[in-house]
Amino acid sequence: MNCKKARVLMSAAVDGELTLKEEQEFLQHLSECKECHEELGEAKKTKLIIKERVVQFKAPQSLINSIMQLTGFSTKEHEESLLYE
Amino acid sequence: MDKPDPTQRTKTRTKPEPLSREEHKKQSEFQNEAVIHLNSLYNYALHLTMNPDDAEDLVQETYLKAYRFFNSFERGTNCKAWLFKILKNNYINRFRKNSREPGKVDYDLIKDFYHSIKDTRSDTSESDSDYFHSLMHEEVYQALHTLPEEFREVIQLCDIEGFTYEEIANMVESPIGTVRSRLYRGRKLLRAQLEGYARKYGFNTDTD
Repeated sequence: MNCKKARVLMSAAVDGELTLKEEQEFLQHLSECKECHEELGEAKKTKLIIKERVVQFKAPQSLINSIMQLTGFSTKEHEESLLYE
Repeated sequence: MDKPDPTQRTKTRTKPEPLSREEHKKQSEFQNEAVIHLNSLYNYALHLTMNPDDAEDLVQETYLKAYRFFNSFERGTNCKAWLFKILKNNYINRFRKNSREPGKVDYDLIKDFYHSIKDTRSDTSESDSDYFHSLMHEEVYQALHTLPEEFREVIQLCDIEGFTYEEIANMVESPIGTVRSRLYRGRKLLRAQLEGYARKYGFNTDTD
């Protein structure tokens, strides 16, 4: 495997989406190529930063209520008010 | 996510016009399968619209549609992915006309949006020992939003929401190979952005 092929597989390697065969070839290349080895490390780090550092917001209570209403008791009026407001 | 109030359930059971058994079954299945993803959907909608009111509307529409067509949801598949797809379609139909110019990033808009919503609705537990603490949430958020939409989207779906490549490919209606390469290129762009922030705040990108 060359670097070009390894880069095609890089994201899948980060996300555990390689097939067994791809993984074997990819790891083989990594053991021979410092550059790709480092690049994988950087990509993993980037993923981790996004995962850990992007703030997740809580849905507002009003939204929770209206969704609960939808599934608790759903009236025609309620549906219409949501659709055409 | 809040669990449904048990007293409410008892109340609906004694309602004058009882729902059919089937409707009851549908409701409780919908609660367990779909409503539990409310926060994720809201965050996805926020990312797309950058506006809390629009995000709320979008999520409501999505759940209405999802509930109405819940029978067509393929049982055993990922319900969250199904909901995201519906939300994305709603978003495209609703906002396509006045979508932002691609490639243009309004940093002020991102900053304003972030600050307006952060203080009241943040769901993050802060810990000082966090390895990435030196990188501020806001900077990561901004860096993500500097990416072209097609890259940002797959990174969001993969890294934040944890969808598989197959699910993402289905959502963005592109082959898996495209998802792979967008993730690769997107992360590369993002890394360049984050490096700037990291250096500024003393986070050493050379160590593991």
